[in-house]
Amino acid sequence: MSEAILRVENCCTWFDVTRGLFAKKQIVKAVDNVSFQIFPGETFGLVGESGCGKSTLGRTIVKIYSPTSGKIFYKGEDISTLEGARTKAFRKQVQMIFQDPYASLDPRMTVGEIVREPMDIHGLHTAKEREERVVELLQIVGLKPDHIRRYPHEFSGGQRQRIGIARTLALDPEFIVCDEPISALDVSIQAQVINLLEEIQKKMGISYLFIAHDLSMVKHISDRIGVMYLGHIVETGPSHLLYSKPLHPYTRGLLSAVPIPDPRRAKERRRIALSGEIPSPINPKPCCPFATRCPNATEKCFQAMPPTVEVDGRQVACFLYEEGG
Amino acid sequence: MDQTVRPHDRPLQLPPDAFELLPESEKNAEFVAMESRTFFQDAWRNFRRNRLALVSLCFILLMCLLAILVPILSPYTYDGMDPSSLNQLPSLQDWFGTDKFGRDIFVRVMYGARISLSVGFAAAGINLVIGVVYGGLAGYLGGRVDLIMMRVVDMLYSIPSLLYIILIMLVFGSNMFSVLLGICISSWVGMARLVRTQVMSLKEQEFSLAAFVMGASRSRILFKHLIINSIGPIIVSLTMMVPSAIFQESFLGFVGIGISAPMSSWGTLANEARMVINSYPLQIVWPVLSICFTMLALNFLGDGLGEALDPKKR
Repeated sequence: MSEAILRVENCCTWFDVTRGLFAKKQIVKAVDNVSFQIFPGETFGLVGESGCGKSTLGRTIVKIYSPTSGKIFYKGEDISTLEGARTKAFRKQVQMIFQDPYASLDPRMTVGEIVREPMDIHGLHTAKEREERVVELLQIVGLKPDHIRRYPHEFSGGQRQRIGIARTLALDPEFIVCDEPISALDVSIQAQVINLLEEIQKKMGISYLFIAHDLSMVKHISDRIGVMYLGHIVETGPSHLLYSKPLHPYTRGLLSAVPIPDPRRAKERRRIALSGEIPSPINPKPCCPFATRCPNATEKCFQAMPPTVEVDGRQVACFLYEEGG
Repeated sequence: MDQTVRPHDRPLQLPPDAFELLPESEKNAEFVAMESRTFFQDAWRNFRRNRLALVSLCFILLMCLLAILVPILSPYTYDGMDPSSLNQLPSLQDWFGTDKFGRDIFVRVMYGARISLSVGFAAAGINLVIGVVYGGLAGYLGGRVDLIMMRVVDMLYSIPSLLYIILIMLVFGSNMFSVLLGICISSWVGMARLVRTQVMSLKEQEFSLAAFVMGASRSRILFKHLIINSIGPIIVSLTMMVPSAIFQESFLGFVGIGISAPMSSWGTLANEARMVINSYPLQIVWPVLSICFTMLALNFLGDGLGEALDPKKR
């Protein structure tokens, strides 16, 4: 396999939420010791329930947050050491599609200005070429050139997300973090946007980090998937393997919650209902984060962090698969 | 029964050579090219639709014009006394009448407009620049910088502005500069606070993160995205600031510590007229009406501008 375009090594993003001067230090470990790789032209899906740190991880990768510890390498270069012109080069190649198409476009700019802005910032092309490029980009995402003079509020959610996608494409990025790009959209529109993203990937060979909580969508678009729980990645693997034979108890529970659009088959399926509360992400105990809800939990799980082991071409963080365990 | 076949029931039979290729020039016929307009052209179009705001703008422009021209063109001056015609009623010679020294009130009101309007606009302008930059920086940088910047603001705000003004008057004398300085020294604080809260809430929105991810510089994000998006509240508070500065100056004039005689502002004129209010009540009407109409016009203008600059209200 070729060199990874993005390599995340033991990345931690913690937030200090201590209130008051003399209060006990409170730390939210939004992302804790996460490692994975993304290869050129690949789509890496990241799933997990709300609040598990998916978006924080995505934002750490595009340098909105800086990691508390650990390293993120983009094309072999540690992104936290980038400075000046090299940061700008990084910003040109790595883009992000945001979750909320209503908040991610500046309401006082016209669509043309929004799509042109990245080119203005990086000083690409002449003024005339930029105008042409804006029209071209709008056509790529399926909007009409005469939408240029309109304002974002005149568009529907799906159209706005297309405007956002056109903006990210303006710089010809090589890697895009899609932070739940479809969760704010209608189901019918979701499919359109997903198809658009796939089409663009085919045409331009972009790699995606695709963050979502809709499992069937992620399965459809991703080559490999990482399952996140409370700041940790509990399982990574090729999407077909992960879906046909989930290893980690959390993945199993998550997959059994996916609705099957066939009542007969749905009846036959054994659903694993997860019980128990998600532990608070503030000052978590140094043990398996899933132990409190895990049907297979043993004494061991409450005492130590499970190691990440390689099983069937997948990485699982669970004591069930430990050598000799 | 009627056996006629209606036209659309009949299958349409057209030979292939009845069709013709669309000429290249008409292929883009559906493309609606909108005239290219900038943000401010757009805003101006919207502004014009608001009659009240337009009338207000005309009134203010007229007032400015009169304030500049009348003292130059009129045969009277603001301090020219005429002992032969004291406390006259309005006439063709003296449109608003004369005061107790025989000075023409129309010229004095217009001369007062010079001072009142320039104090109002200058104070608003200074407040705008300082308040927006200071508040914008505090809100955007946040954290410790914000904490220190806002404590400075609190300190300035905790001292009554009248005290500043009196102190400044003592040092610099009672002229327009010290009035302006005194008004501005504490009133930019309101603007700074307003802009700070706006910027703080806007900077967490995804569009400002998006600009950051694109590689936009901090100043670009602050000025092009955050401050532009808080322009509505800024304009509204700005148009409130002009009348409040005029009012404050008038108040200073009224209590006798503003612009000194024989120069006049609307406040000092009202104060002088107050002394003769029992015998010549008409004299106080002119400066008071000027103040009232100017403030009304500025408020309408502010509303109109706020609406015109908001793309969502089109």
